[in-house]
Order: sequence, then structure tokens, then C-alpha cells
Amino acid sequence: MACDASSHPHCLELFEKLSEYIDDELAPAERREIEAHVAGCVACLACLQTLRRTVALCRTGADHPVPEEFSRRLRSALAAPPRGPA
Amino acid sequence: MAESHPPNRPAIHDSDTELIQAINSGREDLFPELVRRYEQRLYTFGRRMCGNPADAEDLVQETFLNVLRYLKDFRYETKFKNWLYRVAASTCLKQRRKSKFAPERQESLETLEPEAAAVAADSVPKWVQMPLEKLLNEELAQTLQHAIHSLPEAYRLVVVLRDMEGFSTEEAARILTISDANVKVRLHRARLFLREKLKGYFDHGL
Ligand SMILES: [Zn+2]
Repeated sequence: MACDASSHPHCLELFEKLSEYIDDELAPAERREIEAHVAGCVACLACLQTLRRTVALCRTGADHPVPEEFSRRLRSALAAPPRGPA
Repeated sequence: MAESHPPNRPAIHDSDTELIQAINSGREDLFPELVRRYEQRLYTFGRRMCGNPADAEDLVQETFLNVLRYLKDFRYETKFKNWLYRVAASTCLKQRRKSKFAPERQESLETLEPEAAAVAADSVPKWVQMPLEKLLNEELAQTLQHAIHSLPEAYRLVVVLRDMEGFSTEEAARILTISDANVKVRLHRARLFLREKLKGYFDHGL
């Protein structure tokens, strides 16, 4: 089954709400509607799971360590800030 | 008992309030402490927003210079951290236009339309079922970073703030001075775009 706008408008309508679903920002009735739908629609289930995984991967991003050399330059730039227009 | 709220009583008190009050009442020598608290976060934010380290450094420096200029205007209406990100986000938007590293062309918005992203699948792909730790490696991190950098900036800011920096919808909306609804729409589009890029990566790799 295609998760396709033209042939399955209901799928697309739910598809638009998947981020809010993942973020737990939907009203209980909307949540239940999505849960009931993905239980029977593998295309939407795949959409939901891939989107959820995408978000999970974004959240794994580690810090970029500050280069020491930059940190020193930053402090001296801030100690003598350029005089801009007041 | 008499009403004892001085007019400048902070509305929001957090771990930075005392430091900022001190700096604003003349202890400018304490500014490096503010830098110490936030340079790592801002630098990481800069690397997420900018395609290259030099632009990230410029962003951090410009942001702190703006904080130095405008800290007196901070009204304690939000957490200091959120105000700082607001300064950083607007600094970022201004700076992009000047960068020699800024890409000439960014993805067109049409590729972010949900209609284009809502393609048929007849099963849940393998990369979704594997344990997350098994997927993580340097190549994936770079693929994701590259995908984020090819998003239009308005979308990149939203996904970085929400999914990488950990701000809520409401916080991101205030930082970017857009509506909650706008944050949600941009976030969904941005995630769909990233998902397509990841799908392409995993379809070839797994
Ligand atoms: Zn469906």
C-alpha cells in the first residue's frame, strides 16, 4: 500500500502530523487515530519509524570541542572589543 | 508586609542570574565567566549551523560581542541561555550572507514538500530496526551533518534548536521570533528532508 497523497488522502493527512506525534504534542484523540492507522497501514508505519529514527540520530550528535587556539583569540577579542557605532 | 519587589527584580531566576546582575552592575571583569559557561555550547551550535569551522568561530565571537553590547537590555523574561541563543540565531542569519563559505545554492523548498516525501514502502526498513548504537559511525555523522548543512537556513535553525540543542517548540519559537505553528511546520519539513538523505545513505550501505 502506498502512503500516497492522491490515492490515500487519509495517509497524507496523518503523515503531516507524524512529527507532532513523535514529539508528543497531539491531543489524545489524534494520537489514538495515528496509532490505530499505523497498526493496519505498513506504509505509514514505515514513515513513522523512519522519521522517528531520523530524530533519534539527530539527538545523538556530540559536542564539537572548542579549538584552544580559538578560545584564546576569543578571550582577547572580548577583552578589547571593537568600538562600533554607539 | 510591604510589597518588596524592586522594579528590576528578575522575573526568571536561573543559575546565570546572579552573574548577569553582577556584570550589569559594573563587574565587567566577570564577563569571561559567562564565556567559560557558554563557549562550548555556542561553538557546537556554530558547527551545526555553519558548514566550516571558520564561520563557526566567527559566529561565536560575534555572538559574544553582541552579548557584551546588549546584555544591559536583558530583561530576565526568559532563561539567559534562551536569550543567548536568540542573539546567536540572529547573528547567524546576518553572518551567513557575508560568508565566503556559504553555499551558492541550497535545496529548493519543493523537495521538502511532504507530498514528495510520502513515498510508498511495503516494509519497515532495516536501518530502523537495528539498535541505534550499531548504526552510529563517523561516516553517518558526516552524512547527517552534510544533510543539515544543505537545508535552507530557516529550516536548519529549527531542526538544530529542536532536535540537536534540545529546545522545546515554545522555546524555539521565542528564540526565532516565529509562531509555535511555524516551528512545527518547519521542523516536520526539515526532518522529512533529513530522512530522505538518511534513506539514501542506508539504501546503499546496509
Ligand atoms: Zn497510511
